[in-house]
Amino acid sequence: MFFTLQELVRWLRMTAFELWLHAVSVLVFSILAVLKYEQDLAVSWWVVFIPLFTCDGLSAYFCVIVLIRQYMEHDIKVASVRFLTSGLSLVLLFLFKLLLCQRLSAQRDISVSEVMGPMFVLLQIIMVRACRVH
Amino acid sequence: MAVIHRALFTWFTTLDFLIFLVLKLDGKINWNWFLIFIPLWVFDAVVVIYLTVNMIIHCKNGYDRNHSDLSLRRKGWFLACAVLKMVFQVLLCLKLQYVQSLSLYFVMIPFWILATGAAGDIFKGLVLINRR
Repeated sequence: MFFTLQELVRWLRMTAFELWLHAVSVLVFSILAVLKYEQDLAVSWWVVFIPLFTCDGLSAYFCVIVLIRQYMEHDIKVASVRFLTSGLSLVLLFLFKLLLCQRLSAQRDISVSEVMGPMFVLLQIIMVRACRVH
Repeated sequence: MAVIHRALFTWFTTLDFLIFLVLKLDGKINWNWFLIFIPLWVFDAVVVIYLTVNMIIHCKNGYDRNHSDLSLRRKGWFLACAVLKMVFQVLLCLKLQYVQSLSLYFVMIPFWILATGAAGDIFKGLVLINRR
């Protein structure tokens, strides 16, 4: 909309494949969430969140594959820096989804600001990445 | 606008929106939902104006002023995405503020069109990257 795919890849430091995974998982999750909200689907919130958790799992797997390939083709420094930056974003996204799921299924009494905590940290990382885009 | 300006502008509006959303959902403020979405309205307005001006200049000159390989058709798709996003936000605000009986299926239609298009667009980009 405001960015091309190449610009997004450069800014978010995510591959096009990871972006595609996130887009598809959010689409499937939104369909399941609406079905659950309209009471046409009698499953728990954990089931509704399966597409999002699957996406995180696949992204983590992809991240490890890239780590191994970069280690074999370049050196350990390049590979570990890439792994740590992508891993941190993934962990923060996963934490946000986990806390949101726990709040929606009323398992824990947590406020929305606590749920959004990981997202605010992730936004600061994204801001730093935006400043380094040229 | 350079990528860094667009990225920082997007980041700033998203951050503002999330702060307003958290305050509203935690019951700290009792604003109308249309006011909570102000950062996103500002973002959408800037995107629509930017794309419209860009498309007019592209039509006038016959090429992109930033010398990017973005075609006029692609810019039209970006504009359609912005409009779909705005329609979704208006419907969501209407449901949350005034018409609680409005079906969420109806509200989500623009979002689903947008998300399907975005996923297809990224997939197309992925195929093109792999071909190069």
